[in-house]
Amino acid sequence: MKDPYESIEVGDEINGSEMKIDQEKIAEFAEVTLDYNPLHLDDKFMQNTSFGKTKYGGIIGHGLLNYGVIVRMMTDWLWPRGGIHRRLQTKHVKPVYPGDTILPVATVVEKKSTKSKRWVNFKIELKKQNGELVVVGESLAEFP
Amino acid sequence: MSEPNEDLQMKSQQKDFWELWGKRKTWDEIQPGELRPTVPVTLSKEMIQRYARAIGDLNPLYFDEEYAKSSPYKGLISPPTIHSYLMFACTPIEDWMREPGTINAGQSWYYNIPARPGDTIRLVCRALDKYIKKDRLFIIHDNVFYNQNNEVVCSGRGWTIRPR
Repeated sequence: MKDPYESIEVGDEINGSEMKIDQEKIAEFAEVTLDYNPLHLDDKFMQNTSFGKTKYGGIIGHGLLNYGVIVRMMTDWLWPRGGIHRRLQTKHVKPVYPGDTILPVATVVEKKSTKSKRWVNFKIELKKQNGELVVVGESLAEFP
Repeated sequence: MSEPNEDLQMKSQQKDFWELWGKRKTWDEIQPGELRPTVPVTLSKEMIQRYARAIGDLNPLYFDEEYAKSSPYKGLISPPTIHSYLMFACTPIEDWMREPGTINAGQSWYYNIPARPGDTIRLVCRALDKYIKKDRLFIIHDNVFYNQNNEVVCSGRGWTIRPR
């Protein structure tokens, strides 16, 4: 069998599973992480509160739900290829609102071998159904 | 390692983040470098699987005992991002991360070994740095999770914008 690492090329794109975000999904994520911040649950609070110059106007999804969806995409892709997802760094640039659908994408930007391992660097983007960028980041995977 | 503090652990389940509004440390009071109080938490299979379902991840490594046993992990593991749960489970309600309006601006995590059902996970965390940018009050978080054998599970940084 061909070494899966050798088949990976700069520019290769991975598309993860999309997820529909609604109030129930956000409430479920609050339950399983114990993150009951009113940002995610209290619509009235969010309608009436300004965050510096930003006013969200309603509840927003958890940044870490976006994060979890991205890591899942990486694990799903790497596991059958013998790779391990080692690192994800994200910057949350836009909020996700109930009704949005999120879709993670990873693009191979670099491959590098060190003394005992081989690595792949990915550019990460999480977009909404309308193409709006929600999360930008980078990810690192390890191969034997 | 100290025994898990049951009282603290009960409190970490608290749903009303408003209860201690005004009593938690503000940006002014948060001291970079100072450790935050935490409590070890034992992970159950049920908790791990509830979390996995919530992120839409039905990987058999988290659900199928037989499959997981035959994998290099030799048993069920949790999704890497179980730290999202552990971050709140291991901290008390007076911790400033629960202040209503705390915005998650970014995260980075390095994953070492998976957490498993039955593991007792310990968190060492602190503010590492703080700064002001575009009129906003930022904290950089420094977090490391260890298992009962003092092996690092994952380590990372978080950037939050403080509400006050």
